[in-house]
Amino acid sequence: MDMQFSAEDMAFQAEVRVFLDDKLIPRLREGAASTPSVFTEPDITREWQAILKEKGWLATSWPQEDGGPGWTPMQKYLFERECAIAGAPSLPVLGLKLVGPVICKFGTPEQKAHFLPRILSGEDYWCQGYSEPGSGSDLASLKTSAKRVGDRYIINGSKIWTTHAHHANWIFALVRTDADARKQDGISFLLIPMDQPGISVTPIVTMANDHEVNATFFDSAESDAANLIGDEGQGWAIAKYLLENERGGSCSAPGLLAAIARFEAAARAQPSGTNGAMIHDPVIAQRIARLKLETQAFETTELRILAELVKGRAPGPQTSLVKLIAANLRQSVDQLQVDLFAYDGLQLPVTRPLYGNEAPEAIASREAQLAMPTYLNGRAWTIFGGSDEVQKSIIAKQVLGL
Amino acid sequence: MNFDLDETQNLFQATVERYAAREDVAGRLRTRALPGAFSHDRWKELAELGLIGIAAAEADGGLGRSLLDCAIVAQALGKAQSVQPWLECGYLPALLLAGTPHVDTIISGESVASFAFAEPGRRYSMDAKAVQAKSVGQSFRLSGEKQFVLSGSIADVFIVSAHTGSATELFVIQRDMMGVDVKPYHIVDGSVAAVLTLHEVEVEGCLPNSAERLDQALTAARIMAAAEMCGLAQRLFDDTLAYVKSREQFGQPIGRFQVIQHRMVDAYAKVEQMQSALYRHLLGGRTETASEACGLKSFVAQSAIWVAHQAVQLHGGMGMTDELGIGHGLKRIILLSKLFGDPASDLATYAKAA
Repeated sequence: MDMQFSAEDMAFQAEVRVFLDDKLIPRLREGAASTPSVFTEPDITREWQAILKEKGWLATSWPQEDGGPGWTPMQKYLFERECAIAGAPSLPVLGLKLVGPVICKFGTPEQKAHFLPRILSGEDYWCQGYSEPGSGSDLASLKTSAKRVGDRYIINGSKIWTTHAHHANWIFALVRTDADARKQDGISFLLIPMDQPGISVTPIVTMANDHEVNATFFDSAESDAANLIGDEGQGWAIAKYLLENERGGSCSAPGLLAAIARFEAAARAQPSGTNGAMIHDPVIAQRIARLKLETQAFETTELRILAELVKGRAPGPQTSLVKLIAANLRQSVDQLQVDLFAYDGLQLPVTRPLYGNEAPEAIASREAQLAMPTYLNGRAWTIFGGSDEVQKSIIAKQVLGL
Repeated sequence: MNFDLDETQNLFQATVERYAAREDVAGRLRTRALPGAFSHDRWKELAELGLIGIAAAEADGGLGRSLLDCAIVAQALGKAQSVQPWLECGYLPALLLAGTPHVDTIISGESVASFAFAEPGRRYSMDAKAVQAKSVGQSFRLSGEKQFVLSGSIADVFIVSAHTGSATELFVIQRDMMGVDVKPYHIVDGSVAAVLTLHEVEVEGCLPNSAERLDQALTAARIMAAAEMCGLAQRLFDDTLAYVKSREQFGQPIGRFQVIQHRMVDAYAKVEQMQSALYRHLLGGRTETASEACGLKSFVAQSAIWVAHQAVQLHGGMGMTDELGIGHGLKRIILLSKLFGDPASDLATYAKAA
């Protein structure tokens, strides 16, 4: 048993570092660092996407024949780790990491040839139509219908929490194609163009003052029948594949550890107002220490999963814990950030973005200005992609056999 | 032994409920869209009801009511999720200015006052350092910077803590005086605070007995912050309870799931404990002790934050939006929990004295 990276791994890591050092220009770093949410804004991500595409390092989770770099699980991990530590922008995850792998796995040759290059080039920007106003945790109860008429589907209904629908030109949606089947069996996975009169997008502003999610309405919207992925009724199985793809082989701890290190440095610099720096406050020092211990353990949990993947084995039941632990650690880090900056951490700008020339002026520092929007936005971590309550029920049932 | 409200207290509570009934989510968002996120009309209505000067002496034009009566008002404002800065721009300034010629127009609602106490890099310390008051003949000249001046963007009068070289004293500054610069910025509860910069601002003198005045007012303000948080948490609890009874997933109201039931019971226990802590403090005869008020505020704030986090979580995505009152409640609780100290620093103050 050992926890060492091999010489080849280290060489790869060094190569990634050199690349990131060179390509992550200050504007990209600032844009990424100054985004309170998980999703970096398209102006920043598009630029970063183009740089990675040129290098051939873009669609890391796609098979090589579809345009992926052909990396091992270890290389994928190391790349993500270095990106997180360097503070690289996030990529348009909905296209590259969600629908992309689904098209690779379930798409016809025609679908692959049409959609995959357009995802890589950034020509298509994707959003996801899963949740509905009445179907959140109970996703299988969704009602948005797609009715086959000739060679087209006619779509009616509404989707909610459609992240970046206001930027997207395509949506991948779970739709009901058979109202009579058992509820999971009547669901299909359909790709729908956004630019049409039957689709309207209404912004939903969050309590953090961010506009990233929307409600998307379908009023006799249309999509070509050739845009169905898999067969009718296969949507639920495809969605499960996608979710597992979203959760498996994760690399959350390195970014969290980098954030903790940043806030520890801030605590060393931040005056307590009465006696020395904040780090000398035993309450703050212990919170930071405790968070470090938890996150270091979590890093090893992720490495244990990685080790299984590297050996070609199916990872163990720890995978189910990853989202749960990551979400709660993230919220603790956000809370620490707010508490560190005292009154300065209570500023909450109403305009976005928080980078560039138009950004509202920060009180004290950009880090202090980001604390509150990040914390408020981050309350969603334990809600999206399966809430904590749903995750725990799944783990209790499927892992513990309860 | 009796925990029932008396007739006057019932009346205060009903008055606030009637007043704040218009402040539903849409009403709050309308106010927040006004310049300075503040409604002068609504503020004057609050003054006409006597609520701004509720604690002030009758000689000052106030109602001279007890801390308990005031706490009932604060709690009712919290429960209604009112966006009026009653505590920070009404109750507290009226106490700080008690017995001075400045207090009339504050109580009548003609002018709005804010207390400028926070300084860059000084965290929750109340000793002024960044603003200095230089004695020049009969008067003082104030220079320096204050931050986090609550609703400072619309305030006409600032009560500024400044260091004279020997002690922290309180000075009254009018917004239109020479050398006063106000830079607005938005804060967590949707209000617009300000950075207040003073360049050689000339004032005649400081408020009499500044230190004592400040101590008393801060102690009372901490109690009111706790009372408002009790009201806010109660409201979040009530709304969440109604939601888990009506929101259906997996073919039944989510409140039928045991995990939700137990969470709601924990929240219920927190809310009851907060109320008890508040009553114990108000009726236990130690309301004048600063450290006791810190202990109360710390205890209430920690519970309120927990309840607010659960309210967001159990509302799911909807709890994240600005379209429900849930986020508004969380954000006001966050602000109050850190006003004049956060739960950790307040607890440290209490622990040291206890």
